[in-house]
Amino acid sequence: MILLEADDITVSDGPTTLLQPVSLTLEAGTPLVVLGETGSGKSLLAQALMGTLPPGLATSGRVTLGTHRLETARAGRFRPLWGREIAVLPQEPWLSLDPLMRARAQVGETHRLVRALTAAEARRQAETDLARLGLDPAATQRYPHQLSGGMAQRVAIAAARAGGARIVIADEPTKGLDAARRDDVADLLLQELGQGGGLLVITHDLELAQRIGGRLMVLRRGEVVEAGETARVLAAPLDRYTRALIAADPRHWTPRSTAARAAASTTASTSSGPAVVSAHGLTVGRGGRSLIDHVDLDLRAGRIFGVTGPSGCGKSTLGDVLLGLVPPLAGEVRRDGGLPVTAFQKLYQDPVAAFPRRLRLGRTLADVARRHGAGAGRIDALLERLGLDPVLLERLPDAVSGGELQRLALLRLLLVRPRFIFADEPTSRLDPITQAQVIQLLCETVEQDGCAVMLVSHDAMLIRNTADERLALGRPEGAAEPQPEGARPEPVPA
Amino acid sequence: MTDTPLSLAGNANRTASLAASWPRLVGLLLVALVAGFALAGPLLVPGDPLAQSLIKALAGPEAAAPLGYDHLGRSIFHRLASALRLSPAIALAAVATAGLAGLALGTLAAARGGWTERALVTLADALLALPGLLLVLIVLAIVPGTALGFWAGLSLVLWVEFFRLSRAATRETLASPAVQASRLLGFGPAYIFRAHIWPEVGPMMLTAAAFGTATAIMAIAALGFVNVGMRAPTPELGRMMVELLPYWREAPLALLSPVVATFTLLLGLTLMAGSRSA
Repeated sequence: MILLEADDITVSDGPTTLLQPVSLTLEAGTPLVVLGETGSGKSLLAQALMGTLPPGLATSGRVTLGTHRLETARAGRFRPLWGREIAVLPQEPWLSLDPLMRARAQVGETHRLVRALTAAEARRQAETDLARLGLDPAATQRYPHQLSGGMAQRVAIAAARAGGARIVIADEPTKGLDAARRDDVADLLLQELGQGGGLLVITHDLELAQRIGGRLMVLRRGEVVEAGETARVLAAPLDRYTRALIAADPRHWTPRSTAARAAASTTASTSSGPAVVSAHGLTVGRGGRSLIDHVDLDLRAGRIFGVTGPSGCGKSTLGDVLLGLVPPLAGEVRRDGGLPVTAFQKLYQDPVAAFPRRLRLGRTLADVARRHGAGAGRIDALLERLGLDPVLLERLPDAVSGGELQRLALLRLLLVRPRFIFADEPTSRLDPITQAQVIQLLCETVEQDGCAVMLVSHDAMLIRNTADERLALGRPEGAAEPQPEGARPEPVPA
Repeated sequence: MTDTPLSLAGNANRTASLAASWPRLVGLLLVALVAGFALAGPLLVPGDPLAQSLIKALAGPEAAAPLGYDHLGRSIFHRLASALRLSPAIALAAVATAGLAGLALGTLAAARGGWTERALVTLADALLALPGLLLVLIVLAIVPGTALGFWAGLSLVLWVEFFRLSRAATRETLASPAVQASRLLGFGPAYIFRAHIWPEVGPMMLTAAAFGTATAIMAIAALGFVNVGMRAPTPELGRMMVELLPYWREAPLALLSPVVATFTLLLGLTLMAGSRSA
């Protein structure tokens, strides 16, 4: 049964076309995944289907929703259908729930206001909904800040569905989640809507797409480059861009270790050099609470030390302790004393926040070069090596794309000739293809300049295919002692 | 800091601010108008603000006194020009002192933290609890010389605002990854101030300076109006208003002149300051 049919949806901002004509059908029981990177127009497509495009954007196209025939240009007509026919699952639900309302009331409110149930009926219905999603009765009486992320997600789903909508649009439902939680969300969405409902998932995450299954549509710069069965497209992509996108997934990378080891054995230069940074019996934590107990590490020149684990496990704090930015709770860190202080550097998760906000990038880089006596030619040489356009130097940090800015951040570090780089989730905000580029450049840096790199990521596959040595950290609450690679088999995501 | 104040404030987004900044341009124009009158007026029409001629008391405008005469037969034009040099000069001096002190102490408090910060914040809060005019009056009573007293008193009142602004903004900036990165790259406090703190705090400080100048001019006029500020025969805006108030029926222009001048100046300063958020 076809729940939603859209014909030739376009979106444009003045003369700029943001979304080329897109047509799609959503059938009951077959989820549709729209895959694309930031700026591909995937969120605009969802907003056009909902009639929630920001004012100022022009749109055209027709949407058929059950018996309703609508034109996207007349957004006001969509309004009566919200909640009843079509609902949206917000990104990061723990931020979208009302912080002053208990879980049950958030769901009951929709029953009462959209379906006009009495207060008592609404409350009972809300309890039933939440129980069906696996929330125990005690949890329904909690406020959002008392709920775990997974529970909040369930409450958001219940609230979105309470109006009786058969179609749910989930816009990046797994943004900011680690692998295990991502799979939970996917399963939950499938359980809720897999059979009778219509599910439209918008994401840049290939694994989520795989897990959701159904049909897939790949968007790039507002254009559909490929569409078909999800399993087929992911297994045998036809389009060049889709292939690049899939190849950029860390699961499909060629493990670096073997290549690096081969290179090291021929040049025999740096791989077994002395430790640049080492730690003994190190315990780190925040606010007096220990997160990682008694680890011994040796970070050697020319090697990548990968650290992975769920958010909040202390992996970033570990790096800050090694850099001396945060004091350790116990144990000691020894940095190679023969090196200048500036030989120890950090690559940040959010490159925009790591540059002086109001200075042009060229000025910042020139300041660093001057401070460290690097000639003007060095910046140009590095720009070329990292594949960056000199035009970018004229801009402010927030006017450059994330991938370019992260490469500029790497360039800034290289001006200082570092011996140790702590890369703190350097690609978690980047698209897969950009991520692959940045990690590739980081690996080249290790090989060419012989730095020691500690690469922190929540993505176990990325670390697996990049690092020479690995450290997998567990949940902070759990008693799991983190042990260096080899002492414990690494959990492989399903 | 080679940038002039206005270009610094405007460089955030030049094209957008040009369209949105008409109130600032109007403000600038009004202040320039008053400044032009105060500085160039006496050159165009020479005269003495203190010379009396009782025969001409409350007389209307003439070539030698384009705004007429006051109750003691002194040229309003020249008294006004003189008053419009005095108050803004004191105000600017006080704002400059307060701004520098506030910026230095605010940055110091944010950078040092601990007892330094606690002591400075307590001092600032204590001063904030006192009515500003009262504080100025107390200082006026202690310091010899009225202009000097105003400068000292107003500086003491105004630095708190600059201190609070710069401390808050600096603390936030210093905690950012950008500053951590600069430190790791080997930059010292001077560079951190130049590259990170000043670009954030500077525009805010200039806004606060324009407001502060307006506040200071108002304070001087208010104390003049209640006869405890500048002493006769020094021409001062508030004093001129109160002296001419009894003659509003006979010489309305004489009373209106200082009122309009004060209003124009304060409006101009407020527009310059306020529109920056737009």
